[in-house]
Amino acid sequence: MASADPERFADAVGARLRQLPLPAAPHTLLPRVMAAAQAWARRPWYTRAWFTWPPGWQAASIALLCVLGAGAVLLLPGAASAVARMASVNAAVVLWRTFVRPVAPYAFAFAALMCLACAVFGAALNHVVFGRTVQP
Amino acid sequence: MTDAHQFETFVRRYQNLVYATAVRLLGNPAEAEDVAQTVFLKAFQRFETIGSSPAAAGWLQTVTRNACLNHLSRYRARWQFFSELEQPDGEAFEPAVQEAAEADDTARHAQLEEALQRLPDHQRVPLVLFHFEDASYQNIADTLGVSVGKVKTDIHRGREALRRLLT
Repeated sequence: MASADPERFADAVGARLRQLPLPAAPHTLLPRVMAAAQAWARRPWYTRAWFTWPPGWQAASIALLCVLGAGAVLLLPGAASAVARMASVNAAVVLWRTFVRPVAPYAFAFAALMCLACAVFGAALNHVVFGRTVQP
Repeated sequence: MTDAHQFETFVRRYQNLVYATAVRLLGNPAEAEDVAQTVFLKAFQRFETIGSSPAAAGWLQTVTRNACLNHLSRYRARWQFFSELEQPDGEAFEPAVQEAAEADDTARHAQLEEALQRLPDHQRVPLVLFHFEDASYQNIADTLGVSVGKVKTDIHRGREALRRLLT
């Protein structure tokens, strides 16, 4: 086979390559795949995506998040006054009052909203695009 | 029929396709088997949508191709760097070329497959993408992050390396 005409040469090589039969998968592949799939299906629920957790645990995790958020809101004034009491850290107090305190509630609300939006978007994506997750 | 049995049937049906794509791109049977296992695990995770889909074969080929390219760039570091270096084409490939002349069809197929695996990565990968995956030069260049000119050169050199086996 001459390679003088590049197009004919390319066609000839391509034709020969496409004549090759598919290499057979080794006999070990199927058992390996099945073992890996079974191990994946049996893994504990808490290592799976949040969207596939049992509903009770999903509710509990949301409740915990709300408690943490509420705790942060309740503790915020206390933390602020604790900072204010520290006379030796006047600079920190000034920074806190000037930059952090005015925006802290908004930042917290924004972060909470973003978390909620991510959860809703993820749940919608899970149902619309990926369908139900395979259960063992 | 349970999910496990359906999935086993699915794997039996497509294992040669996935493995062939992987072994041709990677040129290494052990690595190809690892990648094939990863691909089927991904398929298992989406089995309810993929299992009965007529596009399953195409999905598996695309995922296998991407997994192989990721594998090459991750585990054979500096893929692009090495691909830019001039290498003596077909040097390690010569013994297979000489032996091929006397072989019958089956043996010639096996030797051609082996010769393909012996090509350096930067020649074998674009050659396989072009001839087996029907990818265009531009698509291959985009996928590998190299110029179209380099893709054409590498494919041509790969063909030249195979040429002696085919004559």
